[in-house]
Amino acid sequence: MTTYRKGRATFTVSLAIAGGLMLFPTGCSPDRILDVEDPDIINPSNVQSPAGAEAVRLGALSRFNGATSGDESLFLLGGLFSDEWINGDSFIARQEIDQRTITIENTFLTNANRQLHRTRLAAQQAVALLREYSPTSPGWHVGEMLMVQAYVINLMAEHLCDGLIISNVVDGREEYGDPITTQAAFEMALGLANEGLTSITGTTANDVRVRNALALTKGRILLNLNRHAEAATAVAGIPTNYQYVHYDSQTTWSNSFWTWNKNSRRYSVSDKEGTNGLDFASAKDPRVPVCAGNDAACKTIGVTNSVRDDLTGPFMVLMTWPNREDPIAIMQGVDARMIEAEAQLKAGQAASALATLNAARATKSGLAPLADAGTADARLKQLFRERAFWQYSRGYRTGDLRRLIRQYGQSQATVFPTGAWHKGGNYGTDVDMPVPQAEQNNPKLGITLQTCMSRGA
Amino acid sequence: MLAVHGFNRRMLFSNLEVAVMGRSAVRLWLAFGTLLSALAGSPASAQQAAVVGRVTDALTGQAVAEVQISIVGTNQSALSTSEGRFIIRGVIPGAVSVRATRLGYGEETREVSVVDGQTTVVDFSLSPVPLALTGMVITATGEKRKVEVGNAVTKIEAAGVVQTRAISQIGDLLTARAPGVFVSPPVQTGAGIRIRIRGTSSLSLTNNPIYIIDGVRVEGTTGSSSVSVGGTTPSRVGDLNPEEIESMEVIRGPSAATLYGTDAANGVIVITTKRGISGRPQWTYYTEQTAIQDRNDYPTAYRGWRTGPTSGTTSTRSNTVQCFLSQAAAGTCMQDSVTSYNLVDDPESTPFGTGYRQQHGLQVRGGTETIRYFLHGEWEDEDGVTKVPEFEKKYLAARGRSLTSDQENPGRLKKATARANLNIALSDEMDLAINSGYISQDLRLPRSDDSGTAGIGANIFGGPGFKYNMNAAGDTLYGWREFTPRGIYQTETLQSIERFIQSISGDWRPEPWLALRGNFGLDYITRLDSQICRFGDCVLTNDKLGFKRDNRTNFYLYTLDLGATATRRINDETEAQTSVGVQYYRNIFDANYTLGSSLPPGAVSVSDAAVKNADESTNESRTLGAYIEQRVAFRDRLFLTAAVRSDRNSAFGADFKTVFYPKFSASWVLSDEPFFPTPDWMNQFRFRTAYGASGVQPGTTDAVQYYTTTQVVGESGEQTGLIFSTLGNANLKPERSSELEVGFDATLFDNRFSAEVTYYTKSSKDALVSRILPPSLGTGATARFENLGEVSNKGWEMLFDAQILRGGLEWSATLNASTNENELVSLGGLPNIVSSSTLQQREGYPLNGWWQRRLLGYEDKDGNGIITYNADPTKSEIMVSDTAEFHGRSAPKWEIALTNGFAMFNGQLRLDGMIDYKGGHLVYNNTERIRCASRFNCSGLINPESSLFEQARTVMVREHPSRSTAGFFEEGDFIRFRELSVTATPPSGFAGGIMGGRTLTITAAARNLGILWTKYTGLDPEAFGTTGDAPSSFQPFGPPTYYTLRLSVGF
Repeated sequence: MTTYRKGRATFTVSLAIAGGLMLFPTGCSPDRILDVEDPDIINPSNVQSPAGAEAVRLGALSRFNGATSGDESLFLLGGLFSDEWINGDSFIARQEIDQRTITIENTFLTNANRQLHRTRLAAQQAVALLREYSPTSPGWHVGEMLMVQAYVINLMAEHLCDGLIISNVVDGREEYGDPITTQAAFEMALGLANEGLTSITGTTANDVRVRNALALTKGRILLNLNRHAEAATAVAGIPTNYQYVHYDSQTTWSNSFWTWNKNSRRYSVSDKEGTNGLDFASAKDPRVPVCAGNDAACKTIGVTNSVRDDLTGPFMVLMTWPNREDPIAIMQGVDARMIEAEAQLKAGQAASALATLNAARATKSGLAPLADAGTADARLKQLFRERAFWQYSRGYRTGDLRRLIRQYGQSQATVFPTGAWHKGGNYGTDVDMPVPQAEQNNPKLGITLQTCMSRGA
Repeated sequence: MLAVHGFNRRMLFSNLEVAVMGRSAVRLWLAFGTLLSALAGSPASAQQAAVVGRVTDALTGQAVAEVQISIVGTNQSALSTSEGRFIIRGVIPGAVSVRATRLGYGEETREVSVVDGQTTVVDFSLSPVPLALTGMVITATGEKRKVEVGNAVTKIEAAGVVQTRAISQIGDLLTARAPGVFVSPPVQTGAGIRIRIRGTSSLSLTNNPIYIIDGVRVEGTTGSSSVSVGGTTPSRVGDLNPEEIESMEVIRGPSAATLYGTDAANGVIVITTKRGISGRPQWTYYTEQTAIQDRNDYPTAYRGWRTGPTSGTTSTRSNTVQCFLSQAAAGTCMQDSVTSYNLVDDPESTPFGTGYRQQHGLQVRGGTETIRYFLHGEWEDEDGVTKVPEFEKKYLAARGRSLTSDQENPGRLKKATARANLNIALSDEMDLAINSGYISQDLRLPRSDDSGTAGIGANIFGGPGFKYNMNAAGDTLYGWREFTPRGIYQTETLQSIERFIQSISGDWRPEPWLALRGNFGLDYITRLDSQICRFGDCVLTNDKLGFKRDNRTNFYLYTLDLGATATRRINDETEAQTSVGVQYYRNIFDANYTLGSSLPPGAVSVSDAAVKNADESTNESRTLGAYIEQRVAFRDRLFLTAAVRSDRNSAFGADFKTVFYPKFSASWVLSDEPFFPTPDWMNQFRFRTAYGASGVQPGTTDAVQYYTTTQVVGESGEQTGLIFSTLGNANLKPERSSELEVGFDATLFDNRFSAEVTYYTKSSKDALVSRILPPSLGTGATARFENLGEVSNKGWEMLFDAQILRGGLEWSATLNASTNENELVSLGGLPNIVSSSTLQQREGYPLNGWWQRRLLGYEDKDGNGIITYNADPTKSEIMVSDTAEFHGRSAPKWEIALTNGFAMFNGQLRLDGMIDYKGGHLVYNNTERIRCASRFNCSGLINPESSLFEQARTVMVREHPSRSTAGFFEEGDFIRFRELSVTATPPSGFAGGIMGGRTLTITAAARNLGILWTKYTGLDPEAFGTTGDAPSSFQPFGPPTYYTLRLSVGF
């Protein structure tokens, strides 16, 4: 009997264990067992507070830096596409931009696009959060976020083809946008700039700083819309020494010109690129100080290599922002003067335009006053050359070359680099950059998956 | 409140509150209860007896160890000792069948009558059978006879292979030994391997199989490093020591891996380490002494010299001015001469020398009936082929400088491993196994492959085409592009691993019909990745001030596996077995990364740096699964299995809870059926088929929407902000693969020929597609996982073995072949995915196919021997398609391995050789692309004697607006002489007389003796990094050749 009881007990225990095995995943509450908290992420609920809104605002400013002077953005790629930079490495994606034969799969262009849209979305989210959770925050907070949106939409419209798309994330869900014309994109940017201006009523230094940035952005947009007089009016009050600065550091964003030009040697300042290009490298213009790798000037900033990454020389180095942490003024008061000068020239006030240009030059030592160029064409060329040197690699040049075609009737063959490309073959005929292939994942593109509505200036 | 019914007599849980249980679990539990009740009948009585016996070899009469002796229809079994003895206690009296199974012997079953309280003696005399369908395999529900399993399971008897081949790491064990298993071998010391089983199934998730050692999931990721050294990085499966492995089983797809649960869709590699064996201690000392050489043909560099009117248009030793063929054709320059130089072929310039590997190990196995043990320790030191060139030594010596020892040997692995396995019989009904493995290794990796301009690859492949090129400082570079080893080797990269793989498992057989088992284990890895370049030593401008990376990562993989199996013999012809189990996996990745820049002279610590960065990263994944399996065996010849597994995982979306995976299989030994027309020459014929499903889980945060932090710098300093990162996907569920396989196994001609043929078709539905998000959306993440796609893999797998005796000569041959047809069936309505400039994912084509605009043709229209491009199509000498076209697969479609072995003098001398073929795919010769497009030193760009095709592909990538690289997609087919070995096993008397030992084995082996045939013009069609699923061959090192002498002495 004893052994029988033992057998039964064993059976009972066995069955209990077997049953327990089956109960284990459910009886122990799988949800609790499987609940994992990831310390690397921030839940959306965490931003729904005044402090959260402020953090998102700062995040948008970080994005803004990365989309412009802090990474390989349209500041560099647009300069590569136009005549500011030439390619100095082995990447085909950079080479096809330099050669003006861009494919829609171009990864660098795709990345630059993403950065700009991320900036736009971040600023948009910040506006919504600030208005809901921090309504008493200074007006310039919302104003700056609207400026950021206006700035990046304008920058994209200046570079990309007809067919820009603005999508959004609303309440955590995606809302895809339809392609819009370049004109519509400029109008959208203008609306944001105007909204930003109305949101700032204060007079603090930050109010003034952001208001000037908004005005400058508005003026730039109006110039793109061929509304020169309004553009001049928009920027009239901006002092020439005004700067909207992106700060860099050793540990956060790096000044991208240090990264890609001086440090990695993948970009080299161009010189008379493709016949039509300006003499940025050889002009010895103090606005675009340039040295050749390993020459005396370059050695002062630590550049002893005389060849680019592709081992071809010369390696031309921009000396404006030679250090990793150098701040970059992406918007400057002199940009307002250039708008005013163009408006004056457009209005037939050549003398006033020349005076405006020379007043600006007077703020920079080493620049002699300009003489009247004599003809309308020469004056236009003179104006755009001034713009090119004042605004070197700040994202203006491609837009300017396109405006020369669109607004002043010039041909692409006379404004963009052309002829034999410096690494073999010839320059292509692109005058804009395509909306990237990745945008084909937007269901609003329809079955044609056409990423550009049209190509041209 | 629910009351669980079905246990009529034993209402153990009648009042159990199970309200918390999910409905599915209740059903599962009820089903299990019903089955157990049906099977159990009455509880076991106290009447018990024992079966004892001895197993001997029918030919030699010698004892046979490790024979699995089992009582048919129960869970009772035992292993024979080194003296061939066994005992099974607790046998229920009556007529029982006792079965003896061991690989290499014919299976025998004896019917005996067991009397209550008495010991019944059953001796077996097993006949050796060269090839038979016998042997045991490990399944998720425990060890099973191979013949009962409806899948093709390849078992690699690792212990034997290691003894007779040049096996330096685990990849050598797997390469070309299992059909359908593709192994990318490592190309340098310590580099990892990449394994794909039955093709590439997942578009966006891992395609790595999972690894299980002694029942415990272990880390096996590829690319396991947080510091970049180029393309060739370690994989954690490479940590494992082949010397400790008894066998490896490759479970090839969902049809077999269902019960291993989510993550097993890419196959499972089950590793069993060596165990102790009852008997006196058996000591074995072994040593390997290996020479390693890089015998590959590296490409030659060319230079087209010219003389122009200025210094800027005249070639010199210190500039890059050249005259290319197309320029010469256009008349813009004239080639004065063309020089060529291959620095790897020059003893003064080459960075490759003879490496040396030594290994010493000692192991002992033994024990009693109660406790068996296996102890092992090994030390290994492999100094790879990367060395300091002679010219550098002279340069440094002339200046009184030197490199450190670590810098002089930048590719080196030092490793110590230890293992202690204990098997304890706590009672007749209860066993305990404790397995402990420890690995400690320091691995130094040189900067190869895509390691930037400061890497070795960039500088040896990018040289100027002559020897005495000079840099701006006036130093002669001896054909190196820009930097030489005295600078490149200053960046020291070290990966240190401390790894513990522990498991404890218990088996309890409280009743003959019931076995319970539990297994708990942990694979713990602490990894230190460090990289340092001291102040003033680095070659890149930005690094001149020095930097130090110090990244510390902890991996924890917990396994808890509980299971129960009930076995009952329904009648004389039918046996039923029910298994249930629960498994819980917890996987934690916990890392801290630090980087210090601007080091003062002499400093080697992040703490000393002027600029410090720190990061933290944590990932955790948990899986909870349960299964139930029902097997039925009819007349020991037809075996049917049905099972279902359910899984829940922490990475599933909030709106998705549980996944179910079904499984069915059948194995039918037709040759045992009277109706089957078994010819005389056929010994056994088995038909098998299996269907099953499994999955791959998404990443830990793929399902959730979240923000991440960022820093912004303002006038007042740095501040932290938040940025929207990813949309998440609340509906995310695991990628589900289902597979049907059908095949047969046969042994023929006195069991001297065996065939294993399998056809499989695998479909991965709900494939997790990393859907590219439109840039316009503005999300931080560029893609989001969605269950959209479908991927199909189909193919054949064949394994043929033959053993032929002629006099004293025995010839054995193994042919192992597989095919794979891979197709992306659906992208769920999404547009094509352009993964890179060369890889696209399109419906109707293989995953990771090579796509580019095609070189449609070329013609030397002007007859000048030079191909040129002209925008005018009538003048252009190359024609290129307007859109991207599919060129070919990136993974092999066919694999064949042929192994031949000859044994002489009663097996005392053995010669084995293996050649293997892989083909049907293209390799992107990205090295030649960069040489032609950017380094300007390839033949097609400069050499007038280059073929028109070489010129055409160069012109296409450099001058045609398409800039297509398609000309560098090359056929990757090859036949490789993989291994050759000679093993001498002198008679035991010799070992005892000369060495005082029990056994003596001497092996001379060579591994990777070279490519016998290929059309590939690059370095080696297997030379590329180990991570991605379509790796391009970009400035890699070639796989080296290992020449090994191994001595093994048993005491």
